[in-house]
Amino acid sequence: MTTNFIKFFLLCSVLCNFSYADEYVIVANKNMKELSLGEIKAIFLKKISFTNDIKVIPINLSSRDAVRSKFEQQILKMNLIKLKSYWTKQHYLGRRPPITMKSQEAIKTFVKKVDGAIGYMNVNNVDDSVKILYKWSDE
Amino acid sequence: MKKIITLLLTLFISLSAKESEETPYTLGEGLQVASLPLYLGGYFSLDYKRKPNEEKYEIEDFAILGYGSYEKISYITELEFKKLYVNANKNEERSVEQDTALHVERLYSTYNVNENYDLGVGKYNSPIGYWNLIPVNVLRDTSSIPITSFIIFPQYTTGVNASYNSYTDNDFRIDVMLQKNSDIDPKYNNYEINEHYGIGFTYAKNNFSLKFNAGVFQIVDYYNEDDEFNGKEHDGGDGDGDEDDIDKDFETLTSSKHYYALLSAKYDSDSFQVMGEIGSQRSKDDFITKYAGYVQSVYRFDEKHMAILRAESYDNQVSKIAENMAIVGYTYRPIYPIAIKTEYQFHSISNNDTLLLSFSMMF
Repeated sequence: MTTNFIKFFLLCSVLCNFSYADEYVIVANKNMKELSLGEIKAIFLKKISFTNDIKVIPINLSSRDAVRSKFEQQILKMNLIKLKSYWTKQHYLGRRPPITMKSQEAIKTFVKKVDGAIGYMNVNNVDDSVKILYKWSDE
Repeated sequence: MKKIITLLLTLFISLSAKESEETPYTLGEGLQVASLPLYLGGYFSLDYKRKPNEEKYEIEDFAILGYGSYEKISYITELEFKKLYVNANKNEERSVEQDTALHVERLYSTYNVNENYDLGVGKYNSPIGYWNLIPVNVLRDTSSIPITSFIIFPQYTTGVNASYNSYTDNDFRIDVMLQKNSDIDPKYNNYEINEHYGIGFTYAKNNFSLKFNAGVFQIVDYYNEDDEFNGKEHDGGDGDGDEDDIDKDFETLTSSKHYYALLSAKYDSDSFQVMGEIGSQRSKDDFITKYAGYVQSVYRFDEKHMAILRAESYDNQVSKIAENMAIVGYTYRPIYPIAIKTEYQFHSISNNDTLLLSFSMMF
């Protein structure tokens, strides 16, 4: 009886963990070539501004958005302090932070219409109008 | 002078007002002029320095930045008043100096060949070591910069700059610097040079980076008015700075090409950073600077508070000065583009211990 209860408890724990692991994607216009994670990071840090002669336009969600925070921590590997420091230094070097949009829906619409646009969102918001470049889940 | 500053401030404030109607202005990120490919910003630093026989207040930097990009071409210009106001009291003698000359610190344009290659032309910060890329008080950890960063290599290059960056998971970067002409503003460099050929390799993986630079340059004239070095390089032999000594040094320094090498390493986590650099400079016959190096650790208590500890050492054969230093610093940033810093420098040479306080801002 006790053994069965423990098995049941462990199974529930595992299933619960699976159900809470949200998935996110980095998406781009359909004309965008495949990009490595290093290139994606460089685009969002404005180190790369053209790829295949197309101007790349990285788009951030607004600064307090939870998905943006996950993107910065898990893809850019930078916390808020480092990013503030980074963009102030980039101002001295002549680079601007990415533009921001208020919703994932707005990003999807923009990415769909504009060559070189690249953004990120929850996997549930993706459809086949955009190209998925990279997928990640909560760590 | 006052008219120039008033004009610049008026321009900036009026542009700020215009801009605020459209997009919110963020301090430290500049602002766009109308819808033009032109962003304006700048920075300044107010410093206080105290040594056993000297006290100094100064407006150390006041600079205006302008930059932008159109298609694959980007540009940046940085005009600066270096020592706008200096009020010093040395050995009970007070002096006030105002250098109102507007210097060209940077003026260059870059062509983005593709995602991996950039080609630039103009006057730029020599991409050597870690400190020389952002030589602005508000952006660095301490008010002072390590001596390594201004006695080994030319801080500015006027010519061509080419770079390659792999942008893979482990970043690899190559920088090439070429100069075979005069400096755009020869008074604004640690050395007045008419030749500089340099190369740099940078490897970065996660929080770690390693950098190596080497090059050769030809000195036309020799400055080093940087207070952090206390004019020591002007002082030959006995260090009293008399004319004979200066002439002797000048001859030594300008008679042949100077070769340099610098090795830099950095580990940077969220809460702490450890970095170190070691370099050397020599002519064909002998060392100019046998070695100059430092190790620095930074601990970030939180977003606003950080403590810095740095140990430095150098041996300069021309000035005949070999010195060790320990620097303890504390920096408070109420917001990132504003820094209030204090540091105390312990020098192995007597009567050189220095207290530095500064207030600096990027706008």
